[in-house]
Amino acid sequence: MGKMDTAGIGIPGMCPVGTDSLLGISRQQTNPSRWHGEKWRDFAIAIRARGIDLREALATRGIFATDAGGTAYGLPHGVVIARSAAQIADLLKAAQTYRVPVTVRGGGLTTEGESVAFGGVLLDMTGMSRVIAIDATAQQVRTEAGIFWHSLAEELRRDGLDYLSAPLNLTSSVGGTLGVGGIDVNSARLGCSADQALALQVVTPTGEIVECSDKEHPELFRRVILGYGQFGVITEATLRVRPYTPLRMHYFHYDSLRLAIEDLQMLDRNDASDYSGILTIMDCAVNLLVAFDTPEREAVFNSEWLSRLRGYGEFGFALCMLRRYALRPWKLAEAWYLWQRKRDLFPELQRPEYMRDGTMLDRTVVFSRAVWKFWGGRQMVIPDLATSADKFVEAVERGNAVCRRYFPRYTLYCVGIKLRPEHREHYEMSCIPADAEGWAYGCEFEPMVGDAVYSRDHFQSFKNAIYDIGVDLGASYYRFGGMMKGYIRRVFGDALVDRHLAFKRQVDPAMILNRDVIF
Amino acid sequence: MRSVDVVIVGASLSGAAAAKRLVDAGLETIVIERKQLPRHKICSGILSPRGHRFLLENFGPLPPQVLHEPASCRGVTFHFPSMVSMPMDFFGGTTPHLHRKYSDHWAIRQSGAEIHDQTSFVGLQDHGDHLIVSARSRGEPVEYRARLVIGADGPSSLVTRALYPDYPQSIPWFFVCQKFHRIIECPLDPQYFHFWFHPGLGHYTWSHARDGRQIVGVGFKRGDNFARKHRNVVDYLADKHGVRLEPEDDDDEGCGENFGPSLINRYVFGKGNVLITGQAAGFLNMIGEGMSCALHSGAISGEAVVEARLRNRPVQEMYRRMIASEVRRTSDQWNPLKVAFDRPHEADFPAALMALSWRDRAKVMRDIWRFLVLYKEFKWGRQILRAALQRPVLGGYSMQRWL
Repeated sequence: MGKMDTAGIGIPGMCPVGTDSLLGISRQQTNPSRWHGEKWRDFAIAIRARGIDLREALATRGIFATDAGGTAYGLPHGVVIARSAAQIADLLKAAQTYRVPVTVRGGGLTTEGESVAFGGVLLDMTGMSRVIAIDATAQQVRTEAGIFWHSLAEELRRDGLDYLSAPLNLTSSVGGTLGVGGIDVNSARLGCSADQALALQVVTPTGEIVECSDKEHPELFRRVILGYGQFGVITEATLRVRPYTPLRMHYFHYDSLRLAIEDLQMLDRNDASDYSGILTIMDCAVNLLVAFDTPEREAVFNSEWLSRLRGYGEFGFALCMLRRYALRPWKLAEAWYLWQRKRDLFPELQRPEYMRDGTMLDRTVVFSRAVWKFWGGRQMVIPDLATSADKFVEAVERGNAVCRRYFPRYTLYCVGIKLRPEHREHYEMSCIPADAEGWAYGCEFEPMVGDAVYSRDHFQSFKNAIYDIGVDLGASYYRFGGMMKGYIRRVFGDALVDRHLAFKRQVDPAMILNRDVIF
Repeated sequence: MRSVDVVIVGASLSGAAAAKRLVDAGLETIVIERKQLPRHKICSGILSPRGHRFLLENFGPLPPQVLHEPASCRGVTFHFPSMVSMPMDFFGGTTPHLHRKYSDHWAIRQSGAEIHDQTSFVGLQDHGDHLIVSARSRGEPVEYRARLVIGADGPSSLVTRALYPDYPQSIPWFFVCQKFHRIIECPLDPQYFHFWFHPGLGHYTWSHARDGRQIVGVGFKRGDNFARKHRNVVDYLADKHGVRLEPEDDDDEGCGENFGPSLINRYVFGKGNVLITGQAAGFLNMIGEGMSCALHSGAISGEAVVEARLRNRPVQEMYRRMIASEVRRTSDQWNPLKVAFDRPHEADFPAALMALSWRDRAKVMRDIWRFLVLYKEFKWGRQILRAALQRPVLGGYSMQRWL
């Protein structure tokens, strides 16, 4: 066989047709080339000599070939299951020496390939999933970072406690969530999930084990929180927790996105509810969820705020839909879909085993089950926009128009995120837009892919169309890493990105940790 | 016999894109290429902005060695017999002017696949769960055992012929040929690709600058005379546009083109465990740019293999469902309703048309109609119209017409 001549061309250099020649968004390689594997053997020998179990079987590596997004694929050269901070420190020291990329993965629920290893080592954090200590008096928990939120909830529940906020699914990890943000239906009151971190144990890319918080190594703490895994591996976290309460749910139905969002923002501004969010079936059925921890809060809502909401009850909304589709008989398929969806979904949110006296006993389980059952799929494609409160309606309406163009069925999920002034520095170069005051608002645009099959280019075009709105509005994104990283400099500006890059180079000289995610 | 997951036939851009997807997912992939790499490729090299984006996002920054001079192209200029000219900038800004010999070599290397050049595809045998690919490597017979084969070997695809021996006889064939001239004086803007809607010149007539010379190219139905056609165009350019060129150099070149499948939604995607992609499948954008749809369709063929394995579904089913988006993009460009009421191209023809005076607009429309009449003999009109009417009803183009 004539193997190709390796000399000659292919040397990267200055391209006369620069990436900026593509108007709008300057492009870069977002689907990385596989790491070439140089010094892999030496590295493998070195880490095995330190007692690290490195798994190289194809079957093991193949498990991690993609993430929840299913649009980025890559195979690590080897997999290491995380066991301790010391083990990870040894691994990262060797990785610095041999310049081997290390990709860290928690629940693997990234959508843009951020937890996919394009060669090198994949560090599977789910091996570190113990709860270390629960302090009910101080309302704090110390846990290993590879634990899934629902496992943490289970442990906390035994002491009558609950986490503050976490993503609405079962299998995202604590460490991964703290690294990117995390939103919940109570974020409008309690902030994003990363805000509940009080202190972290971090293994830096050069292999030092550092305890950090706002007081201890604050610079590292600020960068690791919402840092997309660039500045260290979170191995343990101390989180603020709260007393567990069952939930009193209310649903209001709208046929207008704008009205529902305005009502959501009105509730948030007035601290009228403990939980609030919007979940839609396309833009036809817009559901505002409102919930309360205590009967007292619910009573205040009923007396002061309920009458101001412009949504319908179930019967009123049914009449509204009847009128709408009577005038648009050609949209009967859409009406049938709405009806089916409502018929299947609503009982799931009120299953008798999770309800008592009209209150929801375990929102983690109820919401997680529903999310996976009704919104999950083999491929999760969820571009998002995060804006200040005043730009949010426009962002959602424009994003909705893009969804209509690309997919027959989709859902929108909108929540507010209460910003903490003391965490302003944590939010730098994150999903929290720089111009947001008081609250930021996020909307996820999720096509209902189901059994349909689309090319990756179709998904990518859809995501680009949503993200272009963000550039236009000066918004931010929750998922700006991996395949969407072409938007980072455009949104955050060169000065800020370069400052973070300088810090990255300082703490990770060989640029080995999660290297294809942001920079 | 070498046993691999996938054999890709053809080390072109579609082959590179397919290889990239397969290698990323950990599938053992061999690309066989008839010629020695880097190999010459007949092509204008003017990539569309969408193709440029694909190259950047998947293979990284383009090295300067993979570009001709001028390194970029700003847009397309349409010329009409009535001497109206319509320059149109690409939506995405300037695009690269690829030197296909080196760009294809660079892309296939970036894909990470194992490459066997000077290895010609001869034939294949389907054994149900695997295929035996016969080839000749430097004159010696060689065989590969593969789970799947991807044919990415261009319009005159040998893989397509192996599956459908009668296919080449069932479609009209064109030849596109180009000659290179040193420039004495050329008023045509070197930043644009120039195209003539002139039925008297040929079915496809173009010119642009490359490495200090001017390309004069013409496409015509198989059987016509290249030298006569070319001389006719050179004389026309001199007479009407004041283009003064030295006699052509002796490195003229040409190749066969399957021009029709994109127009009439008659693509060839293979059967069983053999996928056909790129221009072999019939993808060709309007004004004959095939690279961007070759890249995207090639990538989709690779994705289909990965998805089929993950979902345990037949690969043909996956491929045909996934390729629908690329078929829409490509066939939309030929769809008269889309051209009239949407913007399926990467340059704004309606806006350029509206910028003309009423009189010139009328001339342009008349000239376009006269040009289209040139294609009357192929009887594509009804098929294009049927596809255009299907588009809003089905939300796409009928899969029933695909081979």
